[in-house]
Amino acid sequence: MRGKGANASIRDRTQEFLGIAERVKKSYSSQNGPSSSGSKPLGPQTMAMQSEFNRKASKIGLGIHQTSQKLSKLAKLAKRTSVFDDPTMEIQELTAVIKQDITALNSAVVDLQLLCNSRHGNSNISSDTTTHSTTVVDDLKNRLMSATKEFKEVLTMRTENLKVHENRRQLFSSTASKNPANPFVRQRPLAAKPAGSTSAAPALPWASGGQSSSHPLPKNQKDGETQPLMSQQQHQQQQELVPLQDSYMQSRAEALQNVESTIHELGNIFNQLATLVSQQGEIAIRIDENMDDTLSNVEGAQGALLKYLNSISSNRWLMIKIFFVLVFFLMIFLFFVA
Amino acid sequence: MKITALLVLKCNQEGSDPVILANASDVSRFGFFQRSSVKEFIVFVGRTVAKRTPPGQRQSVQHEEYKIHSYNQNGLCALGFMDDHYPVRSAFSLLNQVLDEYRKTFGDSWKIVQADKVEPWPYLNEALNKFQDPAEADKLLKIQRELDETKIILHKTIDSVLARGEKLDSLVEKSSDLSAASQMFYKQAKKTNQCCTIL
Repeated sequence: MRGKGANASIRDRTQEFLGIAERVKKSYSSQNGPSSSGSKPLGPQTMAMQSEFNRKASKIGLGIHQTSQKLSKLAKLAKRTSVFDDPTMEIQELTAVIKQDITALNSAVVDLQLLCNSRHGNSNISSDTTTHSTTVVDDLKNRLMSATKEFKEVLTMRTENLKVHENRRQLFSSTASKNPANPFVRQRPLAAKPAGSTSAAPALPWASGGQSSSHPLPKNQKDGETQPLMSQQQHQQQQELVPLQDSYMQSRAEALQNVESTIHELGNIFNQLATLVSQQGEIAIRIDENMDDTLSNVEGAQGALLKYLNSISSNRWLMIKIFFVLVFFLMIFLFFVA
Repeated sequence: MKITALLVLKCNQEGSDPVILANASDVSRFGFFQRSSVKEFIVFVGRTVAKRTPPGQRQSVQHEEYKIHSYNQNGLCALGFMDDHYPVRSAFSLLNQVLDEYRKTFGDSWKIVQADKVEPWPYLNEALNKFQDPAEADKLLKIQRELDETKIILHKTIDSVLARGEKLDSLVEKSSDLSAASQMFYKQAKKTNQCCTIL
């Protein structure tokens, strides 16, 4: 196979080339030898099919390798995308190219598999060759599958990146995009907006040099800055002052809403506090009951012990009495006997 | 969070410079020799800004490290020179208050004034002092601040209530143990009392 690409170099290697071709021919014929003894005339045909199979397989392998290289480039591009420097066109072109390659490779692999099966129908091929070709086809299929999977992963990553960028863009530009959407039916400053006014007061020259502060409401400043100097038209200036009023009103509305939500949260907190305290009240009552039980138990025990003490202390009295009675009986007994 | 100056001007419609009706400036921050120039600067900038604020509009301009907020209310314009940290909303509500106060005090007499007034207006000076803290000017801000403090206090309260709950739980345990122990004690005492009375 490799001899087929012999090129003319300064050294004349034709002899080597011829020798290698002979060797290859011999090795193929020896492969097909044991099983194709009776079908020598078919040898070259099978050899041709074999070489064709190998050629196709090598082409497919090369295609897969190139596709995976392109895929890695695409992956790098997709990872690299930032908000501002988006190589969308390249990525899309590359995606299209890769998709075409993959479909072509897919069809090629399918063809190869058909070829392989058809050759297996041909019974004069050694089992080694069959296993070899099936293995080759399987390997190519696996590689193609992994390439497709990678492709899919890269596409998902790209869509996720795009989503993140979109979110971030929305975050930063949501103020600017909200302004024009607000109704201009507001309070007195807007009602006093002069129609086609004559006041020629664009933003001041030093406004362009200013920076918006770290204040949460830089809207006015942004509006003031975006105006160039005297060349600004009245109409546009009106529009940019109106958003200024709007932003002022908006900030007030926002502050009110904040206050309202804070009060709401406070109400919530108070409710929770009340729940906690009532639960703890119940616990306190239980403690009280426990203490009462303890008290009664201890008192009972104290009474019992007191009785016991009494009985102990008074028992001796009884004992003395009994002793005397006994002694008395003993005396009588002694009297009678003695 | 500092107000450097408050100005009230009368804005003519076109062309001519606005006329200063009241001026309160706090230039104590600057060195002694710069004070007059700073005052001039304030006057000049104030005139320019007021001239370019259309009636019925609010405007904020950034100049070096100051923000100048101006509010033009049908010819009567109030300006405030504040630093960057002063919240914009409070600035405008302060200007509103100043204008209302001015109208209340001087009625419509300002309309005929043609030259700069030089006598100070005490209210403006007081306002300058009082409103160095933006919460004073803006009720919303004050309310928000107080609500935040209340929220913090409530959080602390809840924490202490939770700790109290834990202590109560341990007390419950101990008291139940105590009552069980005292019950055993009582039974024991009764037992010893009953069986050995003979002896």
